[in-house]
Amino acid sequence: MAQEPFFVGWQEGPPQISRRQLLAAGAGLVAGSGALGAGLGAVSPAPGPGVWDQGKKVAVTGTIYPEPYLHLLTEDLGYGLRPVFLVGPGKDRIHVRPALTFTGAAVTGTLIERGEHAMMAVEGVYPDPAPGRVRAGPEKDLGDAVLTGEILDAKCWFGAMRPGHGKTHKACAALCARGGLPLAFAETGRCANGKAALLLLDERGRAFGPQIIPFVADAVMIRGRIFEVAGLRQVRVALEDVVRL
Amino acid sequence: MAAGYSLVGWNGFKRAYDGVMLAGLAVFFAAHLGAGWMSAPAGQQPSEIQMLIRASGAAAFSLLTIILCLGPLARLTPRALPLVYNRRHLGVACFLVALLHGGLVVLWYHGFSEMNAFVSLLVSNPRYDSFGGFPFESLGVAALLILFLMAATSHDFWNTVLGPRFWKGLHMGVYAAYGLLVAHVMLGAAQGEAGFAAAALAGVSALLVSGLHIAAGQREAARDRAAAAEAEGWLDAGPAQEIPDGRAVILTPPEGERIAVFREGAKIYAVANACRHQGGPLGEGRILDGCIVCPWHGYQYRPEDGCSPPPFTEKVATFRTRIREGRVLVHRLAQPPGTELAPTLIPEVVS
Repeated sequence: MAQEPFFVGWQEGPPQISRRQLLAAGAGLVAGSGALGAGLGAVSPAPGPGVWDQGKKVAVTGTIYPEPYLHLLTEDLGYGLRPVFLVGPGKDRIHVRPALTFTGAAVTGTLIERGEHAMMAVEGVYPDPAPGRVRAGPEKDLGDAVLTGEILDAKCWFGAMRPGHGKTHKACAALCARGGLPLAFAETGRCANGKAALLLLDERGRAFGPQIIPFVADAVMIRGRIFEVAGLRQVRVALEDVVRL
Repeated sequence: MAAGYSLVGWNGFKRAYDGVMLAGLAVFFAAHLGAGWMSAPAGQQPSEIQMLIRASGAAAFSLLTIILCLGPLARLTPRALPLVYNRRHLGVACFLVALLHGGLVVLWYHGFSEMNAFVSLLVSNPRYDSFGGFPFESLGVAALLILFLMAATSHDFWNTVLGPRFWKGLHMGVYAAYGLLVAHVMLGAAQGEAGFAAAALAGVSALLVSGLHIAAGQREAARDRAAAAEAEGWLDAGPAQEIPDGRAVILTPPEGERIAVFREGAKIYAVANACRHQGGPLGEGRILDGCIVCPWHGYQYRPEDGCSPPPFTEKVATFRTRIREGRVLVHRLAQPPGTELAPTLIPEVVS
């Protein structure tokens, strides 16, 4: 019986246990690791069509408005009149000198785009040498709506993060909301693959304060009123009409 | 063994063991990242950092599952014993992969802001009173701290400094870490769009770990129920000739720790069954070159006095033995560790 293989790990020389058995175990573990990794990787959800090409610098002209979120109203992007939200490279709002608002301006930076939504990580804001004030035109009231979905930070969902929604992204979304970045609302099922979201505003059409932060990235039902301004749909909702599901 | 220390006492087996571990991790990462990239529609791939966050989280969790399976597997089949030998290398690797996961999460999800990233980690989701909305990140942080403590004290130096009992207790914290990580996955990734895969990984892993532990525990419980018969303090270890040469039978006294009763030729010895290193079952070891060798990490003890051979200093308790009517009897009272006792000779073998 004492002649049976007995493994002593510190012994040099030929192992007293079957080398073939150890080789098979090692090969099996490596192959199993590959199979498990491939399986888990393959079922990882795609984040959707958002893009932020940080190597592609652009300049966009239009008119800067500070409310409800700092944005540049422009016709440069090929979708007609559109707001391009202006943000910094990180998770905090930026400030533009008042002299550059409500007048023609040229903004340089990199575009974050998802569908017809656009945002710009700003590098510089300059007076437009050929200013022509761009106006949003009258807003369209599209009526009341009850929607279920997720409150998103628009920068991440537009493409700064891929994916930029869901519970694993909640902390980041809360940080962006705290930093004053635009918030959006996407209906359930469209967070990942949808191209359209609604700009989320309070019932008076203003940006929410920090009181909305506990709700970001959670599944919620909201009851509000839909408006369309400069081609972008907004949902205006009172905080008490945001209900966590 | 505790005579002197080097960072790692490398030998061929350890190199091969770590080679397989690193190859397994490399293949896992490559397969996870490759499959994640290729399965997404063109132009809709996740960001590289977020793919690494997913892959490192899954790798750390899977590695910890493997680590926790090895212990009960080795109790159920001796074939798994070689995998236990360098399990601490797996533990340190698991901590490093988990640290990569946590570091990337802090950088990516909590960085790029005026708020300190570590403050953000604690305050960004205040819903500690909610089950579904619980800030699962805090569970991961707690698990990472436990894994850090274990990795930092994994060397035998700390086993000696802290004492085997405290060290073992500290490293039993791995079960707390695993529980925290199962909750971390279930309350985090499992609630997202990859929810089914994450929940399946955590659920199947937890079932595997608990199932193996229950199976191994039942086997040990059955051994405990078969307590040795005792008469006037002497425990019956059975016929002397039925103890295989160079091996042992394990006695379970009505009270106290198990006893390993070894036979080496005509000589019978009895020592405490628990190795001083990590509590390995000496009675499942062998006598090689005149020393009892622990099956877990190869710690050695002389059977006559329970002392490790010089220059090592570990000692286990010894027990008095005798033979009556061909049966080995062991006195239940342990002698102080290191007490030398003459072996009992088996008459039939001697003659």
